[in-house]
Amino acid sequence: MSVLQVRDLRRSFGGLLATADVSFDVAEHSLTALIGPNGAGKTTLFNLITNLFAPDAGSVTFEGTSLIGLSPSAIARLGVIRTFQTARVFPGMTVLENAMAGHHRLLRHGLVSQLAWWPRQRAEERRLADRAMALLDLVGLADQADQPATQLPMGAQKLLEVIRALLAQPKLLLLDEPAAGLNDTETAELAALLRAIQACGVTVMVVEHNMSLVMTIADQVIVLEAGRLIASGSPAQVQSNPRVIAAYLGEEVA
Amino acid sequence: MNTLVQIVLGGVLQGSIYALLALGFSLVFRVTGVINLAQGGFCTLGALLVYSMHVDWGMATLPSALIAMLVTTLLAAVVGRVAFVPGLSRLTNSNMLMMTAGVLTMFEGLVLVVWGSQPYALPPFSGERPWKLGSILIQPQGVWVIGVAGIIIVALGWMLMRTRLGQSLRACAENPMAARLVGVNVPRLQLFAFALAGAIGAVAGIVVAPAIALEFDTGRLLTISGFIAVAIGGIASFPGAIAGGLLLGLVNQLGTAYVSSLFSAALSLGLLLIVLIFRPAGLIRSGVVRRADVREEARVWAHVTRISSSNAWRWGGLAVLLALSAPFVLDDGLLGALIITLILFLTLIGQDMLMGYAGQISLGQAGFMALGGYTSSYLITAQDWNAVPAILAGMASSLVASLVLAAVTLRLRGLYMALATMAFGLLVDSCTVGFDDITGGPSGMVGIPSLSVQGFDFDTPARMYFLVLALVVLVLISVAGAMRAGFGRALLAIRTDPLAAAALGVNVVGCKMAAFAISALLASLSGSLYAFHFHFLSPEMVGAPRSLELVSMLIIGGEGTLIGPLFGAALITILPTLFQPLAIFKTLASGALLAGCALYLPQGIFGTLLRLVPQTKGRKPMAREQAA
Repeated sequence: MSVLQVRDLRRSFGGLLATADVSFDVAEHSLTALIGPNGAGKTTLFNLITNLFAPDAGSVTFEGTSLIGLSPSAIARLGVIRTFQTARVFPGMTVLENAMAGHHRLLRHGLVSQLAWWPRQRAEERRLADRAMALLDLVGLADQADQPATQLPMGAQKLLEVIRALLAQPKLLLLDEPAAGLNDTETAELAALLRAIQACGVTVMVVEHNMSLVMTIADQVIVLEAGRLIASGSPAQVQSNPRVIAAYLGEEVA
Repeated sequence: MNTLVQIVLGGVLQGSIYALLALGFSLVFRVTGVINLAQGGFCTLGALLVYSMHVDWGMATLPSALIAMLVTTLLAAVVGRVAFVPGLSRLTNSNMLMMTAGVLTMFEGLVLVVWGSQPYALPPFSGERPWKLGSILIQPQGVWVIGVAGIIIVALGWMLMRTRLGQSLRACAENPMAARLVGVNVPRLQLFAFALAGAIGAVAGIVVAPAIALEFDTGRLLTISGFIAVAIGGIASFPGAIAGGLLLGLVNQLGTAYVSSLFSAALSLGLLLIVLIFRPAGLIRSGVVRRADVREEARVWAHVTRISSSNAWRWGGLAVLLALSAPFVLDDGLLGALIITLILFLTLIGQDMLMGYAGQISLGQAGFMALGGYTSSYLITAQDWNAVPAILAGMASSLVASLVLAAVTLRLRGLYMALATMAFGLLVDSCTVGFDDITGGPSGMVGIPSLSVQGFDFDTPARMYFLVLALVVLVLISVAGAMRAGFGRALLAIRTDPLAAAALGVNVVGCKMAAFAISALLASLSGSLYAFHFHFLSPEMVGAPRSLELVSMLIIGGEGTLIGPLFGAALITILPTLFQPLAIFKTLASGALLAGCALYLPQGIFGTLLRLVPQTKGRKPMAREQAA
């Protein structure tokens, strides 16, 4: 069953067609990788799905609800959570606070109970801190929990952003180049983390350049080139697709 | 017809001065991206120097004007070299705004020390006899003002468009990084722009001095008028600055003539708000847009000041015990200063939530104090209300005002938010002065009784002190609860990256509004207490200067820490009480402190103190065990 349906999505910037009539489905609990050369429109596609810019035409439907015209925070409240290409941890907050900020939309006790030190609110806060610590521990960031988040190296900031997104309990998680800036061990850890996330019942979509990572974890691969969808299918199907090979390695001279 | 021409002429005259001020703002803004609030300070300084040389020492006007201009320019260059240009590479634009506010206050303090607080009027350059042009009377000084403004505008335009220096300046304005790469010495040009703005300010001050009475705080009024003019016209464009100045001058004069002098101020502020709402970038947009990079804020916000929960209770408990003993050891003067400190601290807690956490600059918090103070005092003295409902009514009025203001200004960021809140503060100012049958006008509202709840009078300093202390402790604990939980995290997230916060489902608009509303409620409560404490309330106690003073206290104490502002408030309120004979240096010192803290202690006194005290780390080992 597909949770996300993208139909004929189109957006141009000036004369540049950044997304040209792209259609695809994302199946529930699947891991979909979005690949393509630089400038193919992968991040633009994410931005259109989360409505950071409105599409010129087409539709995006998540669990039967159209996302067109919804504000980014309304889309987040439906359970569609994204990360950004350049890590956007919040400066002026610790690593732990950054992670906990992800859970904001699900806090049951609001401003008034926070002001009143309502015991149940304090308990919720403690539970949240514990969960955040457990997740940070999973990616090896627990030691730095009380450090300012911006002092982490870039790779760790990207992992922290994934943790922050996880604490938002996404139904659909959109990760924009999570492996950029990670070394090989960290990338392997990320692959394990992504599989664990998927195993928890989260549908994942990921923009990624690292082919070996994509080919080992993805159920479905979508290939974009110059805004157009040129191939989609299982990693094996896509790898043998001549258009994909051409897009990546250049046209073979006959 | 003649009257109209006369009024329009007056408007052009006033507008020329505003345009000159606006040009100074625009020049510095284009080259550095910073609003230089010290602009008006150059005017007062230049004009008063001329006064001393011309009137006291008997020098001729022209040489004294030239010398005054030179001295002011040199002083501007020194300030630029020591504070302004170094700050540019280290501080966010909002902290630069605060620093220039500090420089402005320093100028005021300097004027206060040298010239005292009495008004000065320079004799007109060409006599007082108006010239007749048909049936229209022209003040000779007006010709001077308009002529000098015209010459400066033409000269500046020629310099920018036709010379190599101007070309480099424009390069700095459009893209400082690229300018640096092609070999333009950017810091030197920034210094040059700052000093040139100082020179323009001095000239503006000198030519306008015969037309208005100069006092030590006239610079502040000139700064505000110039700032409003440039915001109306469009800050990034020179024609915009000139048009904005002239328009503001015309609206002012027409408003004074055909409505009333009270509402002329309200009219220009209304004009400003309308422009801010519909064309935030001003009436005339420049082709060049300086990119306000969101992530730039990370430069200063990267620091994290946190007190562990156990330390907070331990030290807080100790501080409260110490505070409880104060009435038994302090004399009445000091206890009074302490009460004022605590009352202001109530406002500051809310302001810290708004500025330190949510990153929304407010230069109009005293406006909410005024709303609360005047509403409750009026209800008690004129309508025989009880104190508690009257205070609540005051808070309700502030709440409504804050929600309306928030709805209007929420789209605005940083600079424009600061401007809109400042306009609000000034609007409240002009109302407290204008509605004198309710507020008592400029001389203030008298006969406000002591606070009395259910027959219990808080009529001694000690009683008032305990009441205020209890309120402060209660509010502080409560607000700390929210700041350490989801609401505080949401505000911190919004401060630097509203988009990423929204992508996590944070209701950005709602959180900002809530912070704004809470800060208004606290300011209102504090304003009521302030009135009850003094049994008196006047516009200058809760006017625009008070708003700036609150910001100083916040920055000096340390924003984003909740406790920090207490240190700032205590420093600025109690020290002058302790050292009465030195009270004249208060303004100078607080300005220097504000500029110094903005530059060298971005975490304020409290944040710096905290870094010196070793922190116990309570959470980590425990939480890790649970995680394992």
